[in-house]
Amino acid sequence: MASSSSSGITFKLHPLVIVNISDHYTRLKAQTLHSGESSSCAPPSNGGTAGSAPPAPPRVFGCVIGVQRGRTVEIFNSFELLFDSKTHTLDRAFLEKKQELYKKVFPTFYILGWYSTGSDVEEADMLIHRSLMDINENPIYVLLNPAIIHSQKDLPISIYETELHVIDGNPQLIFVKSSYNIETVEAERISVDHVAHLKPSDGGSAATQLAAHLTGIHSAIKMLNSRVRVLHQYLVAMQRGEIPLDNSLLRQVLSLLRRLPAIESEKFQDEFLMEFNDTLLMTYLAMFTNCTGTMNDVVEKFNIAYDRHSRRGGRTAFI
Amino acid sequence: MAAAMETVESLVAHIQALTKPEDVAQLHSLLKQSQSDEALRSQAPHLAPLLADLDPAKHSLGYLYLLDTYLYSSISREQVAAFLPSIARFLNTCSAYHIRFASDKFISVCRCFKDQVMRQQTPIQGIIPLRSAVQKLQNSSEQLTTLHSDFLLLCLLAKCYKPSLCILENDIFEAENPKDLFLFYYYGGMIYIGLKRFSKALECLHNVFTSPMANLNAIAIEAYKKYILVSLIHSGQVPPFPKYTSATAQRNLKNYAQAYLDLTTAYATGKHSEIEACIQQHIEKFQSDNNLGLVKQVLSSLSKRNIQRLTQTYLTLSLQDISNSVQLNGSKESELHVLHMIQDGEIHATINQKDGMVIFHEDPEEYKTCQMVNQMDLSIQRLMSLSKKLTAIDEHISCDPAYLTKIGRERTRYEFDDFDSVPPKYL
Repeated sequence: MASSSSSGITFKLHPLVIVNISDHYTRLKAQTLHSGESSSCAPPSNGGTAGSAPPAPPRVFGCVIGVQRGRTVEIFNSFELLFDSKTHTLDRAFLEKKQELYKKVFPTFYILGWYSTGSDVEEADMLIHRSLMDINENPIYVLLNPAIIHSQKDLPISIYETELHVIDGNPQLIFVKSSYNIETVEAERISVDHVAHLKPSDGGSAATQLAAHLTGIHSAIKMLNSRVRVLHQYLVAMQRGEIPLDNSLLRQVLSLLRRLPAIESEKFQDEFLMEFNDTLLMTYLAMFTNCTGTMNDVVEKFNIAYDRHSRRGGRTAFI
Repeated sequence: MAAAMETVESLVAHIQALTKPEDVAQLHSLLKQSQSDEALRSQAPHLAPLLADLDPAKHSLGYLYLLDTYLYSSISREQVAAFLPSIARFLNTCSAYHIRFASDKFISVCRCFKDQVMRQQTPIQGIIPLRSAVQKLQNSSEQLTTLHSDFLLLCLLAKCYKPSLCILENDIFEAENPKDLFLFYYYGGMIYIGLKRFSKALECLHNVFTSPMANLNAIAIEAYKKYILVSLIHSGQVPPFPKYTSATAQRNLKNYAQAYLDLTTAYATGKHSEIEACIQQHIEKFQSDNNLGLVKQVLSSLSKRNIQRLTQTYLTLSLQDISNSVQLNGSKESELHVLHMIQDGEIHATINQKDGMVIFHEDPEEYKTCQMVNQMDLSIQRLMSLSKKLTAIDEHISCDPAYLTKIGRERTRYEFDDFDSVPPKYL
């Protein structure tokens, strides 16, 4: 049912959408798991058909919104929708209400399509797709595969469009897969970075995280340094004649050297020096604190030892 | 008489012969021996031509001994005056290695030199020789010698501050004599005041009255008075005593500086009229302490402080408003003040002369230059060496018996089999 799209539309997906969908799914999964365990019938949450047995993960549904400019479709945001499992339709009234609210905040965003979770496109999805066609004549379908496959390196997200193909003499709409790019805004980059670096284990306070970060950089630079040193020694030995000349190696070294300097603009210099100075200032501050602590100790001891009328600091005899 | 003359001549011959570094010790013992003989001292007035024979650079030690005997014998002032250029030459060219064998003689020669120069009212003559003397006498740049304060005194009297900076900027870690330390920092503070580097002046004066002292001394009192005035000029308030100030200083200094403390309270109100009234009230005290110039500077610093406060509230302000809020007379005067402050780097602003507005800016330093990197690197190095010294001092004090006794006495009474942190032999 899915083949590659030939419509020539480029899709740009923002990480916010991915995070939203995954969050929706995870929440629902946690809730149904919990309600399954406690065996109380919790009311079904938005958008999901709860599986009859707890292990079957529920599908979540929602709308994606964004902007379409010419041949580029940029998907910015998404929201959840209620799904009526009996009639296999989305709750229309809710959708319109939500759309109105979002219009007020983001006047440029349109409903571009809808999303769901699952491993592949299903038959019932076409019904939902058709129902959205009156809002947007060519809606897109974003599918998130929540199964965690460790060997798979790509994002488990696929975007489908519909095309009219003639199959067995009948024109039919089928889903075709399209390629997409990820587009990030600065704020999104920071949050994704933050989430990605947050280790579940004890990476707690900012100080330890900074220390871990700097240690990583330190070991990387140390490795680089030792390797450059090895190369340098090798070249010096070659120059002195202790090792026979090897032209291919020399050519490789030359090409390596030609790659430096990587960036040489003034703006880079400025930013680089600013960051360098920031790190230096941090070191300076750390040293200062250290030194002040030592100084404080020295002064205390001196006062106790030599000042005739010193205060009785600290310990008094307990009874 | 002839015999005495002969011993002197043989001595001179010895001096000329023993010039190698290994022989210096031998020469030194010879000279010490001859010192105790009356012979040398009786011949003292006639030593002048002999000194001309010796070369100060090569025969420094011998020259020093003879010079010392000559200067402290009964010669007249005019003879000393005539000898001044040779002393200066000696101080400039002598060898540091030789000198250190007889440092007290060296110090006395320099002292005599300084007295003469002061008597002649030409202190500027003595600056360069004394500076080279200081540099030769000290074992390292961190050591304070008696000559430091003499040198600074000459610079102050001559009003010639630049040569002293290279000596003043060294951090001092060792000192032999507390009086030297007090004088050094007091004069140093005054030199920095003359150069208008008030933050460094504050550091120096601070060191004087926070030094450990068992009894109050006059230098500390004077330093404290100047400290109050300079901190009013520099930062608008006087900080309280740090906890390492000796108890003697903390209790007694304020009694001697009452007039200055009144000035502080008047300054805190922020009104010109109050401060002027206070100054008039105590004007004889200020004059007798030679601090009247500083006091006047305190007054003018008030307007600077008020303008600086304005930078924190407003982005742009008209000159007229500035003169109103700071109680100056008219926008011309406030323009002058702001201009001076911009030149001195105390505020960052631009004056728009067309409509008489002043626009205040942020500090334009963006920390993206290589010079800043170098500066930071230097500061970090300094701090690291300081930190090492402090840790060493810390360990040293922890082992000090005086400290251990005091700590041991105050410890809590544990039960018998708890371990004792201080061995009983210290109690």
